[in-house]
Amino acid sequence: MSQEERVLRLSRELTGQWTLPILLALEGNGGRFTPLQNKLNIAPSRLSANLKKMVEDGLLLHLSPSERRHPLLPEYVLTEKGRLHREAARAVQLSEERIGHGRLSDKMWGMPILLTLNFNHTRFQEIRQLLDGITPRILSLRLQQFHDDGLVCKHISEEPRPSFLYQLEKQVQHPVQQLSIDLASLV
Amino acid sequence: MYRSGVTVWYSVANLEQTLEFYSGKLGFEVIFHDSSSGMAMVNTNTKDCVIGFSVAEAVEPATSSTVFEVLNIEDAMKQLGANGVSFVGEVEHVPGMAKLATFVDPDGHNLMLAETLAEL
Repeated sequence: MSQEERVLRLSRELTGQWTLPILLALEGNGGRFTPLQNKLNIAPSRLSANLKKMVEDGLLLHLSPSERRHPLLPEYVLTEKGRLHREAARAVQLSEERIGHGRLSDKMWGMPILLTLNFNHTRFQEIRQLLDGITPRILSLRLQQFHDDGLVCKHISEEPRPSFLYQLEKQVQHPVQQLSIDLASLV
Repeated sequence: MYRSGVTVWYSVANLEQTLEFYSGKLGFEVIFHDSSSGMAMVNTNTKDCVIGFSVAEAVEPATSSTVFEVLNIEDAMKQLGANGVSFVGEVEHVPGMAKLATFVDPDGHNLMLAETLAEL
């Protein structure tokens, strides 16, 4: 797998409404359920489902009551992979701040699409092939949203046959490029 | 090396329910309560001996006992009983040492009253 593909995979693993906020809300080595819930203002069942998924994905360990040596110590502990993902989450958060259009990683495929454009893949089919699993509908929707928000420009290429080319708008290029460098340093 | 102070920590399911029990029923003073972090502490009948509580997703009742000394166990049971504390079984005697009465907090953590019969 190329570094480009690894960067895209890492960015995919951070998309979704809650993964990134949960990672950023955890303390140095992990956290307890109640402070997390209050910090994130999230429904207990939703937090529970997200934590379970993160445990399944190998980002967190869920300690049993007998494994915890003190009631104040974390119930969820970051794994090595989890710590790496938290570093990546910080990089994503920083890039979102630099881009200045709110959260982009909360929408499925948002960041991976921007990174794909950063890697100079500009045609719809090319982007789709690189982002394994994305549906044409979602890709089309996200590109349209990014275009409407002024993050992506599109123009028609006549050769080899007429089709749209998608590119990052000038002011977005640097933050996304910096994100790709930051993520590349972690994979 | 040591200074005066002992803290017993319990994981609990519901902080408000726990404080209602330890403060409302047992009469201990709440000295710290932070709902956002799910933490609280109460003073006990003994100087520098406090009990801390931390909300947890999963709580297993502690098998060790925190034992509170009382002057007269029957009187204490009557008083706490009037506050709604239920005792488990009868008063148990450890000949020549103590009389013990067991009760549990809302999470099933073991607690006891002890009337010492002979000073150690």
